[in-house]
Amino acid sequence: MGSMNSPLQHYADAFERLPEAARTTHRREALQRLLALGLPTPDLEDWKYTDLAALRELTPGPSDYRTIPEGAPPADADGLDAFNATFAVDGLDVEIAAKADLAEPLLATGTGHRRHRIRVGRHARALLRIELDPDAEFQTAFFDVDLAEGASLQVLRTQDATPDAQLITRIRARLGRDAKLDVSTVDLGGKLGRHDLNVDLAEPGAEVRLRGLFVASGSGLIDNHTRFDHRAPHGTSRELVRGLAHDSGRGVFNGRIVVHPGAQKTDSEQRIANLILSPKAEINAKPELEIYADDVKCAHGATFGQLDLTALFYLRSRGLPEAEARALLTLAFAMEPLRQIPNAAFRNEALKRVATHLRSDLDEAALVS
Amino acid sequence: MLEINNLHARVEDKEILKGVTLSIKAGEVHAIMGPNGSGKSTLSHVLAGREGYEVTKGGATFQGQDLLAMEPEARAAAGVFLGFQYPVEIPGVTNLYFLKAALNAQRKTRGDKELDAADFLAYVKQRVKQMQMDVKMLHRGVNEDFSGGEKKRNEILQMLVLQPKLMILDETDSGLDIDALKVVSDGINAMRSKDTATLLVTHYQRLLDYVQPDFVHVLAGGRIVKSGGPDLARELEEKGYGWLAAA
Repeated sequence: MGSMNSPLQHYADAFERLPEAARTTHRREALQRLLALGLPTPDLEDWKYTDLAALRELTPGPSDYRTIPEGAPPADADGLDAFNATFAVDGLDVEIAAKADLAEPLLATGTGHRRHRIRVGRHARALLRIELDPDAEFQTAFFDVDLAEGASLQVLRTQDATPDAQLITRIRARLGRDAKLDVSTVDLGGKLGRHDLNVDLAEPGAEVRLRGLFVASGSGLIDNHTRFDHRAPHGTSRELVRGLAHDSGRGVFNGRIVVHPGAQKTDSEQRIANLILSPKAEINAKPELEIYADDVKCAHGATFGQLDLTALFYLRSRGLPEAEARALLTLAFAMEPLRQIPNAAFRNEALKRVATHLRSDLDEAALVS
Repeated sequence: MLEINNLHARVEDKEILKGVTLSIKAGEVHAIMGPNGSGKSTLSHVLAGREGYEVTKGGATFQGQDLLAMEPEARAAAGVFLGFQYPVEIPGVTNLYFLKAALNAQRKTRGDKELDAADFLAYVKQRVKQMQMDVKMLHRGVNEDFSGGEKKRNEILQMLVLQPKLMILDETDSGLDIDALKVVSDGINAMRSKDTATLLVTHYQRLLDYVQPDFVHVLAGGRIVKSGGPDLARELEEKGYGWLAAA
């Protein structure tokens, strides 16, 4: 355990104040890792835009600590993973039987730090709805997902945060043969949002899709990091992401694709489009491709721009006032990745969130779904 | 209805319109023909209020109002409609919403009562049928994945829905097969009345076989170099534009 002078000591103190039942061996081991590693700092490449300095001061308070999924930490687990494992109050621990087909989504909601484990059995299908706490001063939600052969999981994660909210999520998933993971994310507002999606396409034929929208506003930061490891042949990955930044909002999208030796016939595409709506707003989008196989298709593109002036004139020439025309084009741009969400309930929910957030009074007939 | 007086306009440093004068009265159909690069599209865009054009001299009034001082949406509400040569795709926004929002925005500006969803749907469906389009198009994105011909039909549909007074149709006939040309022409003719006027901007005479103009003008080098009746269009079709440019 760290010395009394360590800046991490308050974590150790907070841990000792947990109810005895919560101070499990698993949590205590996580605390040891946390004290050794600390929270990530901006001198790490993956954290260069997001400074957790202010969060480092926050001490987790008393809460109703329940059992959380226990297991060996991932090989590349960092101090944030250790923090989450130490102080998570609750979490799903679900194993879905082979060939089951769940119509109702699993719900990962609630306040405080959360740690979840979801196993989807062979050829089973499931839905996962993640809703972050919009008022959280600091919330972390970590997900450990495993999809067996032929399994399929659709995820909708939304963050519709108040201006002071600081939210961190990480989804780590391992995909078996022909497994499909389809993740849709809607990140709206907040002071700090950091969202990692790390997917291991471990066996042949695995497929991952990300459909994402983030809207940074006020002085908020939304930082998205994805890492897809294609480790086996015939894997597919798709990322379609739109970023908007208003005011002095900042957005980051860092999309890393690693095609490992032997992952032939990998088919990967990453498309990021950004709309900067104010002179002080900023978005950084960076594809990172590492390709160690020769027979692969990897396409990527990032664009930055303002609204299409021809389209704006077209709408105004039909009588729409300029402000309404701008709002409509912005909304259409924002919704593009979400229109193709396969699950209808998820799709409608995502589109509704965006319309509400962008303060649009558009009726349901407005948008193609 | 529309009075264009010695209109000069330029894009960046290039002068495109060099003194266009034209008077269009209610009830009339005028055709402006001319070679590529003569300034036909620039004239259409300047009249509709597109940014990027600088009017350096002269002006235009619409029903006595200074047209060039108005915002594009104000021109639309006053009754000016531009049929685009290249209609814009707006993925994600349905035609139904777009049409309703446009009509109601115009009605609001004019002080008319806005139409509710049910009334509007009945109103628009009738016009979709008139244009021989599938009503399912109302739930597709504006011009999204439309063929060239479908886009032009959609321009005329918008015109039928919005019921403008002055229709400026920029190369509406380009990209149309003969059946579509017939439907589009019928749409334009349906709008003809003693209270409306039409300005057809076209490179070819083909459209004028279906929409008979009262006057034909030749725009070349940024000026109207010749005006006449419907026969002028046929003469141009036979002889081309060369003899006029040389004049």
